[in-house]
Amino acid sequence: MNPFTYSRAADADQAVTAISSKPQGKFLGGGTNLIDLMKMGVETPNELVDINRLPLGQIEELPDKGLRIGALARNSDVAKHELIKTRYPVLSEALLSGASPQLRNMATVGGNLLQRTRCYYFYDPAFPACNKRKPGSGCGAIDGYNRIHAILGQSEQCIATNPSDMCVALTALDAIVRVRGPNAEREIAFGDFHRLPGDTPERDTNLRPNELIIAVDLPAISFAARSHYLKARDRASYAFALVSVAAALDLGSNKKINAARLALGGVAHKPWRANAAEKILIGQEANEKTFRAAAEAELALAKAYKYNSFKIELAKRAIIRALTIVAEMS
Amino acid sequence: MSAAVIGQPLPRVDGRLKVTGRATYAAEFARPKLTYGALIQSAIANGRVVKIDLSAAKSAPGVIGILTRENAPHFRPYPDDLSRADAPGESRVPLHDDEIHYAGQHLGVVVAESFEQATYAASLVGVTYQTQPPVVTLDDERAQKNATSPAKFAGREALQVKRGDVDGGLATAAHKIDFVYSTPIENHNPIETYSTTAEWEASDRLLIHECTRGIKQLQRVVANGFALPQENVRIVCPFIGGAFGSKGFQWSHTLLAAAAAKQVQRPVKLTLTRPQMFDSAGQRARTEQRLSIGADKTGKLVALRHATTTHSSPTHDYTEPCGNTSRMLYSCPNVEVSHRLVRLNLTTPCPMRAPGETPGVFALECALDELAHEIGVDPVEFRLRNYAEIDEYQNKPWSSKKLRECYQRGAEKFGWSNRNKKPGSMRAAEGSQIGFGMATAIYPAGQQKAGATAILNKDGTVVVRSATHEIGTGTYTGMSQFAADTLGIPVDRIRFELGDSQFPEAPNNGGSWLTASVAPAVMGACRDLKKKVVDIAGNWPNDSTQLTNLFERAGQEQIQAEFNSEPNKEEREKNSFFSYGAIFVEVHVDTLGQVRVKRAVGVYDMGRMINPRLARSQILGGMLFGFSTALMEATVPDEKTGRIVNPNLAEYQVAVHADTPEFDIDFINEPDPHMPDLGARGIGEIGIVGAPAAVANAVFNATGKRVRDLPITPDQLI
Repeated sequence: MNPFTYSRAADADQAVTAISSKPQGKFLGGGTNLIDLMKMGVETPNELVDINRLPLGQIEELPDKGLRIGALARNSDVAKHELIKTRYPVLSEALLSGASPQLRNMATVGGNLLQRTRCYYFYDPAFPACNKRKPGSGCGAIDGYNRIHAILGQSEQCIATNPSDMCVALTALDAIVRVRGPNAEREIAFGDFHRLPGDTPERDTNLRPNELIIAVDLPAISFAARSHYLKARDRASYAFALVSVAAALDLGSNKKINAARLALGGVAHKPWRANAAEKILIGQEANEKTFRAAAEAELALAKAYKYNSFKIELAKRAIIRALTIVAEMS
Repeated sequence: MSAAVIGQPLPRVDGRLKVTGRATYAAEFARPKLTYGALIQSAIANGRVVKIDLSAAKSAPGVIGILTRENAPHFRPYPDDLSRADAPGESRVPLHDDEIHYAGQHLGVVVAESFEQATYAASLVGVTYQTQPPVVTLDDERAQKNATSPAKFAGREALQVKRGDVDGGLATAAHKIDFVYSTPIENHNPIETYSTTAEWEASDRLLIHECTRGIKQLQRVVANGFALPQENVRIVCPFIGGAFGSKGFQWSHTLLAAAAAKQVQRPVKLTLTRPQMFDSAGQRARTEQRLSIGADKTGKLVALRHATTTHSSPTHDYTEPCGNTSRMLYSCPNVEVSHRLVRLNLTTPCPMRAPGETPGVFALECALDELAHEIGVDPVEFRLRNYAEIDEYQNKPWSSKKLRECYQRGAEKFGWSNRNKKPGSMRAAEGSQIGFGMATAIYPAGQQKAGATAILNKDGTVVVRSATHEIGTGTYTGMSQFAADTLGIPVDRIRFELGDSQFPEAPNNGGSWLTASVAPAVMGACRDLKKKVVDIAGNWPNDSTQLTNLFERAGQEQIQAEFNSEPNKEEREKNSFFSYGAIFVEVHVDTLGQVRVKRAVGVYDMGRMINPRLARSQILGGMLFGFSTALMEATVPDEKTGRIVNPNLAEYQVAVHADTPEFDIDFINEPDPHMPDLGARGIGEIGIVGAPAAVANAVFNATGKRVRDLPITPDQLI
């Protein structure tokens, strides 16, 4: 681990000021991913600004019946919150499907948004090629062992996937990320928060280096109570998703789909909003044929590699199964 | 006389120590002026070290010393029996030359005041290499052209075996199968990683705390390496946090830690990280096994060929002995077993729980299932038709074999008769496909010589000692039971001590032979102690007055007896010793290709049960390990660089609690008449054997898809 200095911020302004003067610094939240990466020598911050004492752990109801989740709310507290469980079950389920209880007790919502990929070639600095870790060095995965890698939205520079479960649900829920910079706060629509790799895979998100995530807002979505998170994985618990699906349906009379929210995890560099599938679903009857058409549409442009071609069919089946489960909810 | 405790489900005598955190593991011994080591490792998998630049590392904070080939002592080669290329463990001493054979190879140690400082400094070491493309896959031409056919496994078991005429048998067979089954590289992954704390008590006396299940062997290795008398090296290891085949053999970190301690003149603790457990401390090699089996019209086997290809590192011949069980598990007149070995730029493999049997019985028992399906006979019935009444390979009777009872009781408990033999015909309420599968389990029941001392103290307690090991299986408890019953005193008066090379010699803990080897020594020492006491006092002291009288008469502070036991040669030569079992599982396979084991029944014949609670635990752990092998475990080397891509417990998956099915584990529990005084055979490794095949066979029954390449992940079923 690189030597680093440590300071503790008392409030958000202090934290932002501290990080602004230390371009190589990092905020320390739960530390569940950052510390691991520091031990591996992937992240080498020279300063850690501990933000755990900032008053950002609240979950509050907004006037429009949406919710504001403080950036330091722990994953386990969010998952068990009564309003989350009843209004946004997909979010609670996504959180509970991730990591282990010990990790969820430490991990924060803000930190979860910044979780880095599990790409093998990124995680081990002794691999010579990784454009995300060392821009310009190449991609070790594209011709290497790419079983867990992307099938949508990838580039020749990077085929890594975003590992978060929570972010898949937040993508489906059209969440808004509230961030504090040196001068002001701004809002980032969830779909604009994470980036596709393109030619700059070293950048996971559009957060600026001196900005601090302070909250995530969930807009009121009446039909989000009918939602579900489905995760396919190699073992029953404590595993990253091979593919996951966050789904919510607004069903009218005769099972007509008035609105749909669908997002995929494990398939792309960012949590993948399934716009093409949603377009197919709207106005159709909720049945297997519709779901299959939606799945086919979403995966039409998918591209696989030597070891991850199963993900295309897996994603289709996962979409169909998740939508079927949601449609059958009372 | 106190009530007998052998056969009773005694809780672990060390359980409280463990759950309260007071059991001290190798990395937890505080030593005065302790320093910390971090390994310098090769980033490349094939080539040569040209230069090691230490300038930045030397000036890093806290660094005390750096050991590399430049300044390391010249280690003497390992003792002859361990430097043979087929002996498990590294056969070459560390820093032997500047050649690189696999990624992660140890190039030195940085010693610093803290672990973090040592690790950081090690990251600053600049190594210049001359790089060759590594050979990483079995089918690589460069590997194939140098393939060999090793004669023996670890100098003992024949790896190339023929009886009868396999081609002739296959030519006449009414039913045949011919398939290749493969198993991936796997790692042991004990929770406790390797740790060595080396301390020179004098210029020629070395104390080592290390997690090893080969205390006496390690003592010999270290003494030899530094040209010291064996008694000048002391190895201490009271607890081992899991081994599963690791921690039994010599790897380079022990000598490196000791040499570093000599260099800095302070104790050095060198603890391997999780990634280092994957790249430089042994693994199970990948296997590709071709099974060609034929049966006649009545379902009797007429020919069996089991041809294995596997790999070792470039400097080694360790060969995963996959075909051994095929030599004798079933009755068959024509049998051929062969093993081919290629050398890859991957770390040296070594035994991992049930070496040979785990991959080998997977292949054999899947092949049997395929043949049974082909013939249209029930898999249990098929095995009964081919039941081996004697060991046809050694041409000897079994010491005792109740495998038939295992099949019958297991099938009944499981409800095997409810199995629909048509694949894909059973469904769960939520739509998953259900499959039933079974397999046979078998493992050799070895025995070695061992020694023990028993000491009666003035307070009436008895201390029994042997240089054996506690890898979590329950040695402290089991040996206390033997001592208590032999002396006829309550088990809480016994203190069993192990894990110190100063104690009487005991074998490496492996081969499922610990109890069968050490218990006779413990019983012998206790019998002799009792005799000594009775000779002095006329009886074993029953109260404090009698105790006082005894010690007054004896004129000693302690009364002590030592005993060395040896396997009964005549019995071992006349009979073939194995433990047996039958395992039945129910799996559910969903539309996403996710397989979950829901129920598992295992019935085992392992002779007399010493402690059914510990035995159940051991077997349950083994079965779950087998399900993990079937469904998720695989170490994956990158084909370009030879580096392991998943050297951690997030990406190398082992079964977790949520993967644990409902278990029903039962024992035949009949003493083996050819294990004198003991009646018990080994139970250590048999739990995993057969479990992967039972799962694969159940997946076929559920889906109609035969997966012959482990692990059975969703990719294979989509």
